[in-house]
Amino acid sequence: MTADPALPRRRDLAFLAPLFVFMLLAFDLPILLMLGWSVSNPGLTLRHYAIVFQVPVYVKVLGNTGRIALITTVVCVALGYPLAYWLRGLAGWARLVGLVGLVLPFWISILIRTYAWIVILGNAGVVNRTLQAVGLVGAPLPILYNELGVTIGTVNVLLPFFVLPLYASMLRIDERLLHAAASLGASHRAIFWRVFFPLTIPAVAAGAILVFMLTLGFYITPAVLGGGRVPMIANMLDMLINTFPRWELAAAISTVLLVLVSAFYLVSRAIRTHASY
Amino acid sequence: MRATEPVVAVPADGRGRQGRTPSSEPPAAGAGTVTVRVRDSVERIALATVAGAALAFLLLPVAIVIPMSFSSAASLRFPPSGLSLRWYREFFSDATWRAAAANSLLIALVSSGLAVALGTLAAYRLVRGRFRGRALLEAHFVAPLVVPSVIVAVSLYIAFAKVGLLGTYPGLILAHTVHSVPYVVLLMSVAIAAFDERVEQVARTLGAPETTVFGRILLPNLVPSLAASWVLAFIASFDEVILTLFLFGNRYTIPKQMFVRLELQIDPTITAVATLLIVFSAVALAALVALSGPVRAALGLRPSAK
Repeated sequence: MTADPALPRRRDLAFLAPLFVFMLLAFDLPILLMLGWSVSNPGLTLRHYAIVFQVPVYVKVLGNTGRIALITTVVCVALGYPLAYWLRGLAGWARLVGLVGLVLPFWISILIRTYAWIVILGNAGVVNRTLQAVGLVGAPLPILYNELGVTIGTVNVLLPFFVLPLYASMLRIDERLLHAAASLGASHRAIFWRVFFPLTIPAVAAGAILVFMLTLGFYITPAVLGGGRVPMIANMLDMLINTFPRWELAAAISTVLLVLVSAFYLVSRAIRTHASY
Repeated sequence: MRATEPVVAVPADGRGRQGRTPSSEPPAAGAGTVTVRVRDSVERIALATVAGAALAFLLLPVAIVIPMSFSSAASLRFPPSGLSLRWYREFFSDATWRAAAANSLLIALVSSGLAVALGTLAAYRLVRGRFRGRALLEAHFVAPLVVPSVIVAVSLYIAFAKVGLLGTYPGLILAHTVHSVPYVVLLMSVAIAAFDERVEQVARTLGAPETTVFGRILLPNLVPSLAASWVLAFIASFDEVILTLFLFGNRYTIPKQMFVRLELQIDPTITAVATLLIVFSAVALAALVALSGPVRAALGLRPSAK
């Protein structure tokens, strides 16, 4: 599967060329063009990158995005690990139902799921009315249109992206290792912490990086659940393109994002391929 | 072999401990076993609670949208105070929604068709070809899955502005094809790899040209997978928001219309649209399941290699 010494043959080229040319024109060239914009006007310059990293507005948005991505990652790990572990322990129908529940949100537009959070978290939403009815709080808690609301939304969207690969890697763990530990007298707390958990660390790391990376590109969730008050990188790009056209700056920010995302993706993939068990 | 029970079910915990230190605390051994058991079940309940809460959190938005769409009120109260089909009527009688729906359908139909054609052709030689740089080429074709949509949107915005494709149907169709072609490449690669290559080789030995092998041997055997990848590509386009928002100018698709209304004000028509979309997805999903199982069997294929 790995080293194919030959060059593509004519019949390969005939089938691959249409998509290759399409991708070249509709994906590669535009991205190259964008890279070009990010370092031009006036002349060949790096000033747009300097602006991104120096002007407080942009630095703040970068920081916001990083912080939200980090919190999202931590929460996804904290919720996702128990969920994956629990699913692994389920049998038959229960496991199937759990897995269907896990992939069901993939089939429902992210807009719809985001919209539902307005209904749940708003001032007149389910959570606030329940809290007020019980008498826990006097005034509605501000859960929506701030960073908390955005983070709830991002975790909700990304949790399956963390759980599914982790669950799959948990299933690949050789059961005999656990039995061996048990027959040697390890308590099952010891089996979990000293045999099972260490074996899942690569999958946790790869999944955490994936979640972090995916959060960096989020647009809809911060736009809707942040109510414009919690802009992330993608929302800033929207403004730089659609509101006050500053394409060079938009191109520079996109390039920074592209480099970050590619780096995180490669690390995540490398961890997954090297962790062979 | 996969055990159906988790580590918790591994036996001999209490006994194991006793076995290791048999003489140090013999009188407490019995009691120790009991407390360990109790702690185990407490741990198990704690695990199930956290996991169940995570699953509930995941599904909460899904569970709330459908009842909301049948609400009679204009507010966003849950549970709704009364039931009606008012928001469905609103959707079907509103010309903007209908125009958006027509755009969505048109763009999803054309772009998914393009994606299936381009993606299937490429997947065939990606799987069967033996040449240098194959993995790299596949990574290239799947790259739009990894690159955030907003970056693709910005780069296409700049490019389309140059060639006058901004705000046009062809422009958005191209963009949506970029967005959905990775799904086709991935799915068709799996399907083609699962098809017995010897059948193709026999056809070739009998003198069939490559186009015949592909078009008359391979494709007819992959109809269910083709349909499945078409459904996936269709949904990918139908659900797409960000590219559409950047590239479609003052025209609308259903998701774009939803997004714009979400940003502006609270409009319960969205819940009706949402429910219609959920039903649409459910039907598509059911079709997908039907296509991958029984249809495959009916066509006399081996069950798909997973």
